[in-house]
Amino acid sequence: MPEALLSARAITVRFGGLVACDGVDLEVHPGELVGLIGPNGAGKTTFFHALSGVIAPDAGRLVVGGADLTGRAAHVFARHGVARTFQTPRVFRDMSALDNVRFGLEFAGRRRVHAHDAFDDPRAILGFLGLGEAAAVPAGALTPARQRLLEIGMALAARPRVLLLDEVAAGLTHTELEASAALIRRVRDQLGVAVVWIEHAVRVLMDHVERVAVLHQGRKIADGDPRAVSRDPAVIEAYLGEEGEPERLAA
Amino acid sequence: MGFWLELVASGLITGGIYALVALGLNLQYGLMRIMNISHGEFLMLGAYLTWLAHTVFDVNPIVFLPAVALVLFAAGLAVYRLCFRRITRTSPAVEVIEARSLLVGFGLMYLVQNAAYLVWGADLRGYSFLAEPVEIAGARFTGNRLVAFGFAVAASLALVAALRWTLFGKAVRAMMQSPTGAQLVGIDTAVLHPVVFGAGLALAGVAGGLLSMVYEITPAMGEPYTVTALIVITLGGLGSAAGCLAGGLLLGLVEALGMHFTSPSLKMLLSYAVFIAVLLARPKGLFAR
Amino acid sequence: MTPRPTLVATAIAAALLAPAPWVASDFALSLMLSCLMYVGLAVSWAMFSGATNYLSLATAAFFGIGAYVTAWGHGTLPYALAVALGGLAATIFATAVGAAVLHLRGAYFAVLTFGLGELVRHAITYAEKTWAKTVGRVITEPPAPEVVYLTVLALAMLAVATAAAVRASRFGLALAGIGSDEERARTLGVNTRATKIAGFALAAFFAGALGAAVAVRWTYIEPASVFNPFIGFQTVLIAMVGGAHTLIGPIASAVVFSVLTEVLRLQFPYAYLITLGALLILLVLYLPGGIASVFERWKWARSHA
Repeated sequence: MPEALLSARAITVRFGGLVACDGVDLEVHPGELVGLIGPNGAGKTTFFHALSGVIAPDAGRLVVGGADLTGRAAHVFARHGVARTFQTPRVFRDMSALDNVRFGLEFAGRRRVHAHDAFDDPRAILGFLGLGEAAAVPAGALTPARQRLLEIGMALAARPRVLLLDEVAAGLTHTELEASAALIRRVRDQLGVAVVWIEHAVRVLMDHVERVAVLHQGRKIADGDPRAVSRDPAVIEAYLGEEGEPERLAA
Repeated sequence: MGFWLELVASGLITGGIYALVALGLNLQYGLMRIMNISHGEFLMLGAYLTWLAHTVFDVNPIVFLPAVALVLFAAGLAVYRLCFRRITRTSPAVEVIEARSLLVGFGLMYLVQNAAYLVWGADLRGYSFLAEPVEIAGARFTGNRLVAFGFAVAASLALVAALRWTLFGKAVRAMMQSPTGAQLVGIDTAVLHPVVFGAGLALAGVAGGLLSMVYEITPAMGEPYTVTALIVITLGGLGSAAGCLAGGLLLGLVEALGMHFTSPSLKMLLSYAVFIAVLLARPKGLFAR
Repeated sequence: MTPRPTLVATAIAAALLAPAPWVASDFALSLMLSCLMYVGLAVSWAMFSGATNYLSLATAAFFGIGAYVTAWGHGTLPYALAVALGGLAATIFATAVGAAVLHLRGAYFAVLTFGLGELVRHAITYAEKTWAKTVGRVITEPPAPEVVYLTVLALAMLAVATAAAVRASRFGLALAGIGSDEERARTLGVNTRATKIAGFALAAFFAGALGAAVAVRWTYIEPASVFNPFIGFQTVLIAMVGGAHTLIGPIASAVVFSVLTEVLRLQFPYAYLITLGALLILLVLYLPGGIASVFERWKWARSHA
């Protein structure tokens, strides 16, 4: 097994009395496409906050590319190759789509070298995402679905080793969903970026990832092959509180 | 011994006023993210109204306090409706609400302060009320200071109690913690926001009325209190009324002692130093869990 | 977005405005000097606060610090050096303050910078009384009016050129990102704290240098007159009316307001300030992007007609 790009050990995040993440471990290796699922309130987004340096964990260690970044600021994580999107797309609304992508290249991506030529030019990145004609449009004027794509472009411009995608499916039709999933596969396959993908549309995710981790009430309760995980009794029980979830899990 | 008691007491008295002013700002900012930088100007208005009532109509300032509260509350409703409501409705993000309300507050500060200058002039005004000294445990205080302290603390405690135990108070605290959740259970922000804003200004006005009993007043008197209020909020923790009271008293005490050992003109430097020290050591406030 | 057209325009403007001391009347010269001062103040303020939305209300404090550097150095320091040191002193102060408070929310930052004016004023009053045993200082040998004018002109043009260069640079992109979505900018690799401190300090330099340059117009310098919060208020108002996100907005606005102030303020001091206060409120409520945003909307509408 090649050395982990991103290694999270025993990550614990507390908000006052509430424990959002409780001793979560996760390792991401080069070329992996890992899914992260769990019922609402499981702590998935909080975990992403910890993985990207947005929140400093109360306990645990974060090692990125061999460097211990626990407690460091978010920009340090970005410069070490961790890029992310947010649950609701956060783009620089007044800047053009092109400038939004250029931003990542100017800062986190500036000193990072990457093999694929999609990363050298903002237009190439926009093209990769199918946003080529939107280059001059102010980001705030794009539809939410396209803003989400733009956000992925911004993250790719940071030339990451690991891309953390926080939900892609919200509000998409089934066809759009499949297209997004295919795009994520392409990011991993063609660009060689490892991806960790949080998703509520569990079935789509399960069809495309090789490995899935399940969080429940802040703890990781499963981590492995999608088929095995979907049959794991603990996982099924965790989802029983959610309406209809068990059907969605069956791969 | 009497000297030290006087020093500590004078610090606490000032601190009580700080707490009262800070409570008002805490409510406004904690609930609506409106940083009303003109807050001190309404303290000044309360002071002038009380002075007017006493010198022109011979009304006892203490008796007039509820009237000041009512007038400033009404003023708060009007100010919210005219100046701030539109901001909360049209801003795309919380940061924008903060930035815009700051600027509006900044303009309001100049407007109100200069209106006061226009009406009352720049000269110091004042009146004498309960100025005879009272002796307690070897220390001498003027009656007006004791009254001011007593009322400030009483009002603060009343507010802390109201927030904790009344239905309205619980609604306010609920909204501060989770705006959407509170709306879902039927708390109407269209009513809550202006009422809380008005309450905030009322508190500032009462503080001003209390101050007018002790000190001379001038249109510029309110400015420093806004900054101090923010420092107290940081000490006590945003959203905590009890923290405001404790933080205000503490700041007043530190200032009084600090000024004694250094110099009165370094008061602001001292409060800033306290502020920065607390921020570095305990960013969520001295009393955060 | 190269700054070259702006830099050329700035150089031309400087050349056109330079002969004023030998051509214009005393009153006109004084007016132009005020204009240039506010151009410099408003443009440098907007460079940081307009871009990042961290509203600095510390302009008066920096201005006063610069003025006092001139006052203290008068007689011993050459004028140009005093101006440079005034700017530098303000920069150093801003860096220290920024390091202490720029990681806070914008609202806290604004209120704290607001209190800085009072703080510095009290500190200097205390220092003067205790160590120099004096209340105010007299400017006995001010430099010639041409020198003062040309210095202020140079500073104003430098402020415009700097703002233009920043806007076109990576640093300016970082500032804009902070203003748009600070956390997003952080997750894309911007060290937001260092960037903010640098922007704040850079803006402070101009306020300090201008304060140092203009101080010689007063014959008697004392804390109360020099740390005048109105300068800070006027700066913010000018930038906001013009459009704090633009370069040309604050410049045009500075000219208009300097004239207005010169004409109206002495006549109706309180009424004028009341009006300005009301103007800022109305502006923020109904036209937060300033007049420049009206032009931008008009341009956009025409190009998409």
